[in-house]
Amino acid sequence: MSKPKKKSAAKGESPKASKKKAEAKSPTYRIPADSPWANAWKVAAAFGGIGLVASIFGMTSDPDRFAYSWLFAFMTFLAVGLGALFFVLAQHLTGAGWGVTLRRVSEFLMSGLPVFALLFVPVFFNMDRLYPWLEHGEHGEAHEEEHGDGEHGDGEHGDEHGEEAEHGSWLGLGDGTAQAQDPRDPWDMHPDEVAAQAAEHGAEEHGEHHDPEHQLHGEILESKNWFLSRGFFLVRMALYFALWIAMFWFYFSNSTRQDKEKGKLAITKRMELLAPVCTILFGVTLTGAAIDWTMSMEPSWYSTIFGVQYFAVSAVIAHAVIILITMGLRRSGLIGNAVHVEHFHDIGKLLHGFIIFWAYISFSQFMLIWYAGIPEESTYYHLRWWGGGGFLNLSVIMILAGFIVPFFILMSRNAKRNLPVLTFGAAWVAVMHIVQCYWLYMPYAEQTGLVATSLRLHWLDIASLLAVGGIYLAVVFWNMTRYPLIPVGDPRVERALHHEVV
Amino acid sequence: MAASKKKTKKSHTPATDADGRPLLYLAEYDTPADVMHAAEKVRDAGYSRWDVHTPFPVHGMDRAMGMPDSKVGWIVLAMGLTGCTTAFLLMWWTNGIDYELVIGGKPGFSIPSMIPVMFELTILLSAFGAVFGMFGLNQLPRHWHPVFFSDRFDRCSDDKFFISIEAADPEFDLADTRSLLEDTHPTNIELIQEEVAQ
Repeated sequence: MSKPKKKSAAKGESPKASKKKAEAKSPTYRIPADSPWANAWKVAAAFGGIGLVASIFGMTSDPDRFAYSWLFAFMTFLAVGLGALFFVLAQHLTGAGWGVTLRRVSEFLMSGLPVFALLFVPVFFNMDRLYPWLEHGEHGEAHEEEHGDGEHGDGEHGDEHGEEAEHGSWLGLGDGTAQAQDPRDPWDMHPDEVAAQAAEHGAEEHGEHHDPEHQLHGEILESKNWFLSRGFFLVRMALYFALWIAMFWFYFSNSTRQDKEKGKLAITKRMELLAPVCTILFGVTLTGAAIDWTMSMEPSWYSTIFGVQYFAVSAVIAHAVIILITMGLRRSGLIGNAVHVEHFHDIGKLLHGFIIFWAYISFSQFMLIWYAGIPEESTYYHLRWWGGGGFLNLSVIMILAGFIVPFFILMSRNAKRNLPVLTFGAAWVAVMHIVQCYWLYMPYAEQTGLVATSLRLHWLDIASLLAVGGIYLAVVFWNMTRYPLIPVGDPRVERALHHEVV
Repeated sequence: MAASKKKTKKSHTPATDADGRPLLYLAEYDTPADVMHAAEKVRDAGYSRWDVHTPFPVHGMDRAMGMPDSKVGWIVLAMGLTGCTTAFLLMWWTNGIDYELVIGGKPGFSIPSMIPVMFELTILLSAFGAVFGMFGLNQLPRHWHPVFFSDRFDRCSDDKFFISIEAADPEFDLADTRSLLEDTHPTNIELIQEEVAQ
């Protein structure tokens, strides 16, 4: 027993904590020039460059696939940046002391957010490929011009059905023949019922398009015209990026300024004062971005929980990436013991909690759609389930490897306090995040009629991931070389250093 | 005294006070640091039936007391799995096999519709497992304990820190235990004894 050593510890704190303090005092929390971390941004930038060149080549050779691959990669990494912003906001919102030493890594991840405004450019130029409502929206706008106020133009669209049938593919429903070839009800439960329902609607109008849902969806889209129009879409896009960059800048500049003005309480107060407003703005913008950039790929489909779903995705991946990067910095000895097992235990709990939250939200969305079995709501899952093979398997993999496995890996207290196990769990979650985003976006690239018929991993998917991920991480790693790795000026940093889970 | 000898195998020293059977030593400290270092000493002396009483949670006390991992987690896990499988089996048998009711055009045995119930029962039994498991492992509710006989002990919920060592501990010895506690520099040591009818 090392009793004498323990006895010598300062009064008022645990012996272990005082030992930690002694160790933690020594490092400067800066990345030295000879550390591999100093050059990490160059490596990331190199990968980004390779990916970008390949993507530009792909943009000319396979523009359709490029559009989807890029959006997939964009949303995959945007989730990291937004989740990190959420972590920072949550820290200030709760006035948390425990996570102060973890916050800077999160701030670095958030510091890549402005880059996404640039990375959005390819999405912007491919909007017409990605968002089928644009065609409809333009049409609607033209309609507006003819008939004055578009919102009151609902009565007019009856005439348009003939036209709409021509570009029926954008409805995500296929044409009448595709429907006939695939007579299955989305969940294969009671086809008769669906057929009866269809007959009921179809009875009103029997034309060359004997797909009754066409009408229904046409109406739904008409009613969404005011929202899904090019102009408003771009205004919203500008608003999201403006607010994210403003929030990033506010929190990043204040936090790094506090490093120099040691322990200035006013800065912390200011950051905490704005946290509630920013959290609300964050929630609104993230929900809007999820609806605009993802849900509107299937414009007749809607899910009121979709924004929350994307939030859950971001929160999960951000916590996993914070764990991985912090663990890497700790391994390299750059942050001493500023982040130790107690912090990892706590953020591991958050990661585990958000995995459960993600599964809960995902299932909630599925459950309601499955239970109601309304055709226009079912398309989302129909697309991914009934194509045969690829995306069906991926859906099952998402349930097992996306939820069940990490749930059990990270469940035990000892697992979260065992740093290699926690690292493994976080890495697993990170890989599954990419798989999940693939599951979310790529079916639209493979869509034939109502289903995604095949799952083909295209080289452009990898190239886009490299491009977006490389560029984003280059900015993150570059910022890491410029600022201390923990917020050394935060008044609560001492408390965080001594953090202990009872 | 005979009773005390039976209970405490190493009790060679007679009690200084002939009031009754000794029940417990209660040592009092002023600071959490003092009580923590004292707890380390008591832990290293190999006592098992002892406790630390503080007005607030003291970080690191678990380690200082040498507490093993809580077993509550295993109880919760067992209860959770029980709840999950119970719900599954119940719905599978009743609506899938025994008496199928078609609801909402869904098959009798369909996992999506079972998940909410499986989830809820998992949570319910896990929560029961956590609460009642904690009660059970802590032997709560406990309406009688020797520390309640100390007037000083009231300040445990205010500004004082205590270590209590029960006479039922196999290591307990009136003289040895007292000297061990004295080594930890308490501000006061109290021996709680059984009250005897006069």
